[in-house]
Amino acid sequence: MKKKVLLMGASGSGKTSMRSLIFSNNPASLTARLGATIDVEQNHVRFLGDLILNLWDCGGQDAFMDSYLSTQQSTIFQQVGVLIYVFEVESRNKDKDLEYYRNCLEALRRYSPDAAVFLLVHKMDLARSPKEQVLERKAEELRQASGDVPVTVYGTTIHDESLYKAWSGIVHTLIPNASVLSRHLAVLAHACNATEVILFERTTFLVIATSNPPAAPTFSAPPPLSSTPSSTGSNGFTSTSASTGTTSSVTATSQHAVNVPEPRETDPHQLVPTRYERTSELIKAFKYSCSRVREEFHALEMELAEFTAVLDELTKNTYVLIVVHDPTIETAALRMNIRLARHKFEELQGDSLI
Amino acid sequence: MARMPSQSSSSIPAHTNGHASRRPDVERTKILLLGLRRSGKTSIEQVLFHDLQPKQTFYLERTTRVTKRPYDTVIPLEIWDCPGDIALEALKAEAPLSQFAALIFVIDIQDLYQPTITKMVETIVSIYQENPDISLEIFVHKSDVLSEEYKIENFRHLQERVMDELSYIGTEYEQLPVNFQLTSIYDHSLHDAFSRVIHKLIDSLSYLEDLLNVFCSNSQSSKAFLFDINSRLYVATDASPVDPPTHNLCNDYLQMLNAFGPLYKSITASPARYRIPSTSVANSLTSGASSPNSPSQSLRSHPSSPAATRPTLPSMNAAPTRSRTTSLPGSPTGSASPDGKPMFYPSASTSLAPSTAGAGAGTTLTYHLVTRQLALLALIPTAVFEARRGLVEYNVVFFREGVQEICQVEEEARRV
Repeated sequence: MKKKVLLMGASGSGKTSMRSLIFSNNPASLTARLGATIDVEQNHVRFLGDLILNLWDCGGQDAFMDSYLSTQQSTIFQQVGVLIYVFEVESRNKDKDLEYYRNCLEALRRYSPDAAVFLLVHKMDLARSPKEQVLERKAEELRQASGDVPVTVYGTTIHDESLYKAWSGIVHTLIPNASVLSRHLAVLAHACNATEVILFERTTFLVIATSNPPAAPTFSAPPPLSSTPSSTGSNGFTSTSASTGTTSSVTATSQHAVNVPEPRETDPHQLVPTRYERTSELIKAFKYSCSRVREEFHALEMELAEFTAVLDELTKNTYVLIVVHDPTIETAALRMNIRLARHKFEELQGDSLI
Repeated sequence: MARMPSQSSSSIPAHTNGHASRRPDVERTKILLLGLRRSGKTSIEQVLFHDLQPKQTFYLERTTRVTKRPYDTVIPLEIWDCPGDIALEALKAEAPLSQFAALIFVIDIQDLYQPTITKMVETIVSIYQENPDISLEIFVHKSDVLSEEYKIENFRHLQERVMDELSYIGTEYEQLPVNFQLTSIYDHSLHDAFSRVIHKLIDSLSYLEDLLNVFCSNSQSSKAFLFDINSRLYVATDASPVDPPTHNLCNDYLQMLNAFGPLYKSITASPARYRIPSTSVANSLTSGASSPNSPSQSLRSHPSSPAATRPTLPSMNAAPTRSRTTSLPGSPTGSASPDGKPMFYPSASTSLAPSTAGAGAGTTLTYHLVTRQLALLALIPTAVFEARRGLVEYNVVFFREGVQEICQVEEEARRV
């Protein structure tokens, strides 16, 4: 199953760096070496085995942007599943950026009216503090510019975990059976007496599903692309961001906005809300260090003072992290459960994406 | 994640010993950090011992006074961070030079001008004259700005120049035992270099190394390190040579484990890990042979059920102990009662598969906490670890006891 993902934005805003960090597993420091993208770079990224993301990294220089909006319009904007538009938090020419953005949005409406739109306010590490206010202001501006198109805004930077959070959110909407996966993860969590079970994609380590998405979302995501209803599973990632400074997810329309108390109050464990993306970031960094010794990271288990956890392969495209707080549970038992659950998850993955 | 430095050097008056010194009545091993202005002394100290992110060292203010910062590892240390332009006389006024165990002179790799080198050599020689037993180290710092070839070229160039200067001063100084290290705060070369400095200061190093050698040969481990968790310096390693990629991997692994702790810390559930054992069992387990029963069970039971092997009965004492759960990740809270020792020791293992197929079965990186501050990191072939995990953990128990005894002796010896 193919999904076309358009990655657009001004020249130098960070689109290719993002791609390098998330999909090519390069560390943030190496992105300094990337040059300008010429015209469109098309990548087919295999995600979850059967889902192929057709990533169109569009060079942002003016000459290219002009051609996208004129001669190449139908090629670029047809059959798009997701548009990701990248803005720099402090840009030199805001009006031009917004102008191009509005034109792209219009072209998108014309050729792919069902596409989801995500806006990333990138390079947040360069923003003047207080960062939350800067992000809020920018998000408001962007929502205004988008008119009545529902958009989701994230604040990101390659130097911390916020980029993982944004991309996990984006990719989540592309997975058709996220809620089914969540349900099964919840069953696994119950069997292991685990506090939480998280499913990661193997290469990018983006979070696909968790066993306990908050019961009701604080903010809602735009309607997902496939036919499954906008379920609680797909909103798992957008709601717990209020406490972190640099990331927030805001919607333009209020059709789904349900203002409910933050899930943190009902969560007895009060785990850190940024843990998903921090885990992605930490494991990716460790995988990179392993590759430098020419070894490949395979599995991890730990029994620390605060919790016991096992991170292991579940199917050939996913990794699962089981976090347990009960001190009597041994890691071998968790691994046995993973082994037994493997078959079911492979089945789930196989028949869901067709 | 970005963090501002928690303290700037000018906010600490020169006469205090930094933050709350945990053991004020103990004799500390003193390390002197000297170097020209902006060479990187304070950033070295802050990155190693105060968890400062390397990128944040940009914001450090100039050191204006001699600051003494204590740090406790196998031995209690005190690092004297001096302002760049301090005169030796001023330093001698603060403390006699004979009480320093090591001198680290930090020089910027790009600052290889004659006046700098002359000043450095003069300083080193005058300190050596006062204290011939001092261990002399030169850190050729900020090596990350140059490419590989230039780095090594400058390094060798510097070594030659220093040797020339020394022989110019006097022939008796030609054989001065100066150790050169190439360092940078942006990679692990700083940790490696500082670790080697500390090795020379630990009197009981040979015992620790022996313990590691025995452990390695019995567990078929190819390399093992005894790391200090907070600073990520290794206080001892086994006899096989330390190769930088392996050291970097272990360092990264430790860094990852340290970062994981707070992520899934649960306010309600985490302290439950420490349960009160029945007193009889606690007493028998806290005596020297801490696990006479459980490992022998493990030898008979199937190795894949590690449940019986770990001395699993932690001791939880009064409320004061519980409130300290927020301390360092990966370290059991100290026990307040006289006979109770913390019995739960965190451990972790990561299995790595070689990227080239057929190159071997893969290695497992294991982590076992040994004392509140030290951890054993070892590389064991995965096949061995999977099949004989119980025995490996049994060996770790004895290793742990040995290290704890050594640490206790060190502590008592230094009590003032």
